Amino acid sequence: MNSRMWQTLSVALVLTGVACTDTTVEPKSTITTANVFTDPSSYQKFLAKIYAGLAVGGQSGGDGNTDISGIDGGFSQYLRLYWEHEELPTDEAVLAWGDVGIPDMNLGTWNSFNVFPQSMYYRIMFQVSLANEFLRQTTDAALASRGVTGSLKATILTYRAEARFLRALSYTHGMDLFGDIPLVTEADAIGTAPNQAHRVDIYNFVVSELNAIIPDLPASVAANYGRATTQAGNMLLAEVYLNAGVYSGSTAYAQALTAAQTVITSGSYSLDPQWRRIFQADNNNSPEMIFAITQDGQHTQTYGGVNFIIHAECGNSYNPSTVGIDGCWYGNRIKPEAYLRYDTVNDIRAGYIFKTGQTEDVSSISNFGAGYMAPKFQNITSAGAQGSNPGFVDTDFPMFRLSEAYLIYAEAAVRTTSNLPQALAYVNAIRERAYGCAGACAAADITAPQLTLQFILDERGRELFWEAHRRTDLVRFGLFTGGTYLWSWKGGVQAGTATDVHLNLYPIPATELVANPNLKQNPGYSP
Amino acid sequence: MKGDRMKGHAFILGALALAAGVAPLQAQTGVVRGRITDAASHEPIAGVTVTIGARGAQSQANGRFYIAGVPSGVDTIRARIIGYAPASEMVNVRGGDTTNVDLALTAQAIGLAELVVTGYGEQPAGDITGAVTQLSDSQFNPGRIISPQQLIESKVAGVQVVDNNEPGGGIAVRIRGATSINASSDPLYVVDGLPIGQGGGISAGRDPLNFLNPNDIETITVLKGGEASSIYGANAANGVVIITTKSGRSGPPQVEYSTSFSASSVTRLPSMLTPSQFTTAVNTYAPQNSPQLLTGATDWFGQVDRTGYGSEHNLAVSGAGQSNNYRLSLGYLNQDGIIKGTTAQRLSLGLDYAQRLFDDHLSVRTNLRGSRSVDQFSPGGVLSNAAQMGPTQPVFDSTSPTGFYNWPGNSLQSASNPVQILALAQDKGTTYRSIGNAQAAYHLPFLSAMTANLNVGYDYTTGTHDYFRNALLHDQLVNGNGGYQEEYQPNLLNTVMETYLNYAAPLRFMRGSIDLTGGYSYSQSHGEYNDYQANGLSTSLLTTNAFPAARTVANTLDIEDSKLISFFGRANYNLNDRYLVALSVRRDGSSRFGPSNAWGTFPSVAVAWRLSQESFLRGMSSLSDLKLRASWGITGNQQFNNYQQYAAYTVGSAQSQAQFGPGTFVTTLRPSAVDPNIKWEQTTSYNIGFDYGFHNQKYTGAVDWYNKSTKDLIFNVPVAAGSNFSNFLTTNIGSMKNTGVELMLNARLLEGGRHHGLGYTASFTAAHNTNQLTAINPTAGLGQRILTGGIAGGVGTTIQVLEPGQPINSFYVFQQKYDATGKPIQGSYADSAGCATPGTCAVPRAFHDPAPKWILGHSSYLSYGRWDFSATLRAYLGSYVYNNVASNLGTYSEVTRGSPYNLQSSVLTTGFTQPQYQSDYYVENGSFLRMDNITAGYSFNYHDKPMRVYVAVQNVFTITGYSGVDPTAGLNGIDNNIYPRARTVSGGLSVRL
Repeated sequence: MNSRMWQTLSVALVLTGVACTDTTVEPKSTITTANVFTDPSSYQKFLAKIYAGLAVGGQSGGDGNTDISGIDGGFSQYLRLYWEHEELPTDEAVLAWGDVGIPDMNLGTWNSFNVFPQSMYYRIMFQVSLANEFLRQTTDAALASRGVTGSLKATILTYRAEARFLRALSYTHGMDLFGDIPLVTEADAIGTAPNQAHRVDIYNFVVSELNAIIPDLPASVAANYGRATTQAGNMLLAEVYLNAGVYSGSTAYAQALTAAQTVITSGSYSLDPQWRRIFQADNNNSPEMIFAITQDGQHTQTYGGVNFIIHAECGNSYNPSTVGIDGCWYGNRIKPEAYLRYDTVNDIRAGYIFKTGQTEDVSSISNFGAGYMAPKFQNITSAGAQGSNPGFVDTDFPMFRLSEAYLIYAEAAVRTTSNLPQALAYVNAIRERAYGCAGACAAADITAPQLTLQFILDERGRELFWEAHRRTDLVRFGLFTGGTYLWSWKGGVQAGTATDVHLNLYPIPATELVANPNLKQNPGYSP
Repeated sequence: MKGDRMKGHAFILGALALAAGVAPLQAQTGVVRGRITDAASHEPIAGVTVTIGARGAQSQANGRFYIAGVPSGVDTIRARIIGYAPASEMVNVRGGDTTNVDLALTAQAIGLAELVVTGYGEQPAGDITGAVTQLSDSQFNPGRIISPQQLIESKVAGVQVVDNNEPGGGIAVRIRGATSINASSDPLYVVDGLPIGQGGGISAGRDPLNFLNPNDIETITVLKGGEASSIYGANAANGVVIITTKSGRSGPPQVEYSTSFSASSVTRLPSMLTPSQFTTAVNTYAPQNSPQLLTGATDWFGQVDRTGYGSEHNLAVSGAGQSNNYRLSLGYLNQDGIIKGTTAQRLSLGLDYAQRLFDDHLSVRTNLRGSRSVDQFSPGGVLSNAAQMGPTQPVFDSTSPTGFYNWPGNSLQSASNPVQILALAQDKGTTYRSIGNAQAAYHLPFLSAMTANLNVGYDYTTGTHDYFRNALLHDQLVNGNGGYQEEYQPNLLNTVMETYLNYAAPLRFMRGSIDLTGGYSYSQSHGEYNDYQANGLSTSLLTTNAFPAARTVANTLDIEDSKLISFFGRANYNLNDRYLVALSVRRDGSSRFGPSNAWGTFPSVAVAWRLSQESFLRGMSSLSDLKLRASWGITGNQQFNNYQQYAAYTVGSAQSQAQFGPGTFVTTLRPSAVDPNIKWEQTTSYNIGFDYGFHNQKYTGAVDWYNKSTKDLIFNVPVAAGSNFSNFLTTNIGSMKNTGVELMLNARLLEGGRHHGLGYTASFTAAHNTNQLTAINPTAGLGQRILTGGIAGGVGTTIQVLEPGQPINSFYVFQQKYDATGKPIQGSYADSAGCATPGTCAVPRAFHDPAPKWILGHSSYLSYGRWDFSATLRAYLGSYVYNNVASNLGTYSEVTRGSPYNLQSSVLTTGFTQPQYQSDYYVENGSFLRMDNITAGYSFNYHDKPMRVYVAVQNVFTITGYSGVDPTAGLNGIDNNIYPRARTVSGGLSVRL
């Protein structure tokens, strides 16, 4: 019996004594919230991600390890999408490709299932989420709990202002493109579906945020290239005020003029004497650049952004090495309305237009030969050297540059009929550079009576062509929809036809309406 | 957690208490022991229920039984097992003494007593209650077999084996359709009791199971899911494949040697334009490119394919003593693929040793295997460039630095010379893998019906996969990369400890016998994955042998740890082989889920009723077996990434940095979206079926109907923007359903044998499965689609959809319109229903899917005297393939590139001048009939040594309407420059010394 008992017990012990039931396994080679900020450089790296969210599509070169899913990382890259939303439905550009969703972007026939507005929406809200999390992780309490003091804390306070600037920038894009979107801040908990805000709420938030943070943004222009400096804050404020009528229902042109004037009179920037350089591989040296989304052939590689703009702008008989790249993507052409706005003989801003083998008219969207090529952005330096990598361009995107501040000033001045002589001087300064005049010159200069709103819209079209302003400008001028102004393929036909006003906003993505039941679709769109 | 621990302990103790409750506590008893054998073959029979009075036991694998506590006196001892006539004998039991009784049983219904391996045990085939199919080595596919899964291809109804045509290529197995989208749909593999993971572990080369020499395999048992596999709980949703290796048989030492040689050749290749057709196309559609054309005639596929030769040698030494047996095996295989540069090589060693100790009470079996696999791949781009390269251009160019011709100008828009890629690039994986385990079974001497089992094992894999591209390769010049090198080193150690008690005996308080199993399992996995990547090599001379200085270098190390802890139990009740009930439950705890969802419970119930035992069917003498089965079970799937519940930060690469001031670039950190409440996918399955046999099992088979519903499908779903750190979150939302029917028939039409003239056995299998994604997001009523199935052509173009109500991976295409002559009209697609403005409402729709609706299999075995012949046929019905070679290269726009691509010949029919990727024109019916193999063998004695020689042909013919290379390659149904399928002729010899 004793022996049996012993045997039974020993078997039971073997079976149960080793029966460990703890399933916890901590990650070893992964950085988690538990340890990320034990390294002080993580604050800068996190902020860098919010900047990089504008410039690349993911965490690996060439948009691998993408930030948002459901679409190719390069296709969905923030700047590329923003550019397409601002350019493709307008009188400036047409993209030949037949990928699902692109033809509708050209034709203004998008619906809520279109993957491009969908991805744009997600990119914008991704930026907002990142900025919110950065702010949550850098509150005074959070920093104190990690023992952060002194110069690191001072640096982080500047970073917080930059994060808030980047959030305001994306909220501006969001309210501009989609209207009523949720207003999510660092005060909201992760994992909760946010409520929809009104466009005016977003507008007020952006204005108050910018006014709050501008004093905290880094001041030095040269030392902080790539980052948002004081005048970047003022430029964003100027743009938002300029469009206040669209966003909030009441205009703020006087404030727009003041903000633009602050930028101009800061003395930090001057018009680049070489207009072409602003769009070339060494445009980081341009004295005109106020805020750039930086691209770099070695360090910041994307198939979106300027790399997309340069690769997609050539094809057919155009030699890609002329713009410093490895091959053309046969994508975008200029529409005749935009081309014919130029004095094509004298205006150097049309000097790069490539016509050989192309037709002026865009008789077919998918045929790259229909429409002139507009290789404005180039991966060659102002000295003619190729960028550091023909596959990934070095050319930065001028999100804000000085001549736009001039044009905002001029438009606000005309709209408020104030400061008109200064406005005329600014417009003529831009034009004199465009015509290659050193000082006053008859071919370039306009007179005071010529400085009309229509002229300013056209001048914006000439100066800021393919710089992702056009749709916003046409909406502000009331011309984007309706039948007052027709251009090629507006409304889906080559001759152009009147369109419905609901197209002034893109639809809230259908996927988002499923994921967030708090949201309502914009007027005129079914689900 | 404490509660879980308590439950586990209580469970084990309960099993013990149950066993103890029937323990003998009487005096004046004796012991009866003996051995049960087959009256004809004298082979031992296991699993026989032996009773004397109220006491009983079951015979072990060696046929031995041991009954203690038998009251003294004369009594009848009875032995009974399904498939044999019961036997009995009078025994005189003396108190305190041991009586020996050996019984021989006469077979009645062949096959029913054959032991089938189930999880943590074995059962006679006739007593199986779930959907289980076991094949032994005589039924395996013959010929050149590199991966074990190929042994059962087209042999088991409901099992789809998909290979990628490469020698030993990665093989996917789907049992009763896919049950998952984001997690693995491959079954769990168990080798000699050691679970080696869903999909069979990892490899630095091709299929991870290649470490196992198919020649060492004795049986493969497929537990098709539900009740059959639920004893494996959280890993069993895709079914379980149990592999049992050969062990030494009784008798003197035996040396077996077998060898074979083979030659493989290409069957079908993509249909591209001839040089003159190509020249015409370029001159017509891209005259600007005409000056680039030369006047050669190069068959690019002919340049990269070849006849692949292979050889194999297997040597095994085995034997058995009184209380031990052993088998030592050594195998070598080398198989060249039919595309240059591809080979599979394996060196394998296996040692199996079993020892019985302490009067046979303790048996220990150890199994140790090691292998080295060297897999050479054709470097990336060989097949696609063989299709795209202009047929008018030459292979060689003496003026080029490398001696190979390429299009002038190094345009990004140009194909590369595939022969240059073969010469200047490498892609090779070397995998070392060893598994070993020791299993101890202790038959408690004081409680003979009780067995305590312990199984400890390890599975270690290490390897390197090297990639190299010379800086002078055309693609490196084109993209300015300057040479590329990568070395990937996976290392994985899994350890398993399992312990369980088994009690099998007739019940004392009621009729029938029970078989109880209860146990605990602990497995732990530690993986380290190194990766080194370099671009812009300072020299290309060292190929993969060293890491020269490079322009950019990326090093990563990923450490992955996981645990799975389980308690499991099973109770089988058998009343006279007529009424059978099986209950099982497994409770699994996994590290892959947060604390709130770490544990899951997976129960199952099965019942079976053998009608043929009932009196009302006794009169039907032709009916030898009829058993109705019904079962229900829940299984899980936890096969996806570790650490899903942790909020991780992803470090950006050196090429995705942000600029912070002039010349300063900062690496980025990105928080990832996380669902701390993620849990396993759960599949509930029902199975109803019957097994039948007629004319003393001359005709046998089974019919099964099943329904599998998977819920909590792990999906990457959209989440409210702004609420998390991505637009998509990996979480449990979605469900899927598979329903199907399986039919099996085996007919021993003619009884042959060496001296009995002609023998003929035929088997047929048929399986029908329908798959449907039932929901993606049940929280909202809107229809939702997730686009998937990336193709070559365009950027980010996808061709498939995940859409509720449709089979997974349905093609998502427009309905092509055709002109009066039947020619597709470019860009003209049918409108959706209810279109207000005709011509403007074309939308893509879900249209067919890649999974076959019916899989049919047939095997014939024919013997005549010393000759034997076998053949296997397979057919898929209702499978669809997207011909991506045609959609990508079947358009004249491809000749307008910087340098023209060759075109796929469908362009001669369609005349497309722009790609029509999303046209349903390219979705083709992939149904086919294929003769998988045919074999002829001749057996003879040479100097008294039995020998067999054979000739086998694999992939004899395929009849299909599909126009591309192969209707079977790949699971996803997208034919994009897939590896062509080989026809292999092999001849071999086996001898036993």
